[in-house]
Amino acid sequence: MTPDVAQWRQRMPAAFGVSPARRAMRVAGWMAFAAWLVTSLWWFDFTPQRLWNGLSGLGTIVRLMVPPSPGELWVEILKGMAESVAMAFLGTFLAAIVAVPLGLMGARNIVTNILFRFSLRRVLDGFRGVDQLIWALAYVRAVGLGPLAGVLAIFTADIAVLAKLYAEAIENAEKKQAEGVIAAGGGRLAAIRFGILPQVAPVMLAQALYFFESNTRSATILGVVGAGGIGLQIAERIRVRHWDEVAFIIILMIITVAAIDFLSSRLRRRLIGARS
Amino acid sequence: MLDITGLTRRFGTKTAVDGLSLRVPAGQMIGVIGRSGAGKSTLLRMVNRLTDPTAGRILFDGTDVTALRGQALRDWRMRCAMIFQQFNLVQRLDVLTNVLVGRLNRRPALSSMLCMFTAQERALALAALDRFDLAETALQRADTLSGGQQQRVAIARVMLQEPSIILADEPIASLDPRNARTVMDALRGVNRDGITVLVNLHDLTTARDYCDRIVALNAGRLVFDGPPEDLTATRIRDIYGVSETEFAEQAAEAVGATPRFVAIPA
Repeated sequence: MTPDVAQWRQRMPAAFGVSPARRAMRVAGWMAFAAWLVTSLWWFDFTPQRLWNGLSGLGTIVRLMVPPSPGELWVEILKGMAESVAMAFLGTFLAAIVAVPLGLMGARNIVTNILFRFSLRRVLDGFRGVDQLIWALAYVRAVGLGPLAGVLAIFTADIAVLAKLYAEAIENAEKKQAEGVIAAGGGRLAAIRFGILPQVAPVMLAQALYFFESNTRSATILGVVGAGGIGLQIAERIRVRHWDEVAFIIILMIITVAAIDFLSSRLRRRLIGARS
Repeated sequence: MLDITGLTRRFGTKTAVDGLSLRVPAGQMIGVIGRSGAGKSTLLRMVNRLTDPTAGRILFDGTDVTALRGQALRDWRMRCAMIFQQFNLVQRLDVLTNVLVGRLNRRPALSSMLCMFTAQERALALAALDRFDLAETALQRADTLSGGQQQRVAIARVMLQEPSIILADEPIASLDPRNARTVMDALRGVNRDGITVLVNLHDLTTARDYCDRIVALNAGRLVFDGPPEDLTATRIRDIYGVSETEFAEQAAEAVGATPRFVAIPA
């Protein structure tokens, strides 16, 4: 098998590699990327020596962590953990509920008014641009220290993200099923309720459960800024260098998140895998 | 010469292929027929070693295929090329790269990882595509092609492996009749070049039209082996206990294809 290379090269030059102009573009792109990378490393003084020194500091902390100990105020720790989980649950639940109508309004195939949909999406983008922690700081000033600020922070930050994910799920839903409902005499709301919602409900639920998991993790940090939960307990113990108790809290957090992960994946499978 | 003796494969308590023996001389085109679960796919997959046999032996020109490992196994897979019902192309890669996959076992691994194929290889792939009238699609993504085109791309990929045997597992079950014909013509064409072809088919008519020899399986056992003209309607009834039309319907349903004969109730 010896093909006529020259002839094929003439017939389909693009199959033998990119044109010089494209190649130059690619090289320029990669060089810009490399320059950015090197500059960032240099800017933050990212040297092996500093990493090594930091590592030995980390080693000291790890040594102080063993053996983990619940300390004397272990009831406080458990209460903080329960508070974090409750905050994550409440914040995610409320956000998931509010995000459904927002998602519907943001979906191209539901709302045909471009101006309305566009402005809604930009507003949601704006909300998404602000991190949970910033919301928490703002709410602590507004409603005072405590879990309410944390719940509101989770709620506000998640609405925008969930609404966007919901809108995308709705846009990917099959049109034919809704058409079947319309053809049978159903109205627009009925088409959404019976034609679209059954398709997207499992996706929505799965995403809400993922968010609950990830919020349990991030709710721990909200306590550091005073928005309730286990974070406060950790911050206090780090300040007084009780690393053994910090280790205990970390282990407790890992167990809690793993338990939620396990339960939510079982729940997802039960609710979604109902086919056949 | 492919020499299969006492080949058996069990999945749990179920025996998919049961003590099957078969000799395939070089250059033959053999059609394997049988109903759903008869063990056709498992047989082909065992020859390519995608599935390992529970017992039995596969010899090819004196080499024990069932004992191969590592590089020797990859070499064997290159020589006994596989064609699948669902084409098994990489949808997001362009057609040319899909065809060049057939070359991977013959070239240095590092340059393959970087997708650096030589001009010679590219021309080879284009020539293979051109044989099936697909050279113009070389730079399109595989998922932009129709089923019939994708299956021909798969055959072009197989051709770049320069195989001794082609194993085709229901190559036309997902295609419409016209595309099915082009694909079967392509397979028959490469068979005329001297490549042995072992093809699983759900459609008896196709098997009779294209194959030199037909092998029928039932519940993992060989129940017929002979030239197409011997596989008469009476013979089918003897073997499977159903009429040819019923057989065609059941077999087609099993692979999700439309049967060529549709029984019209009187």
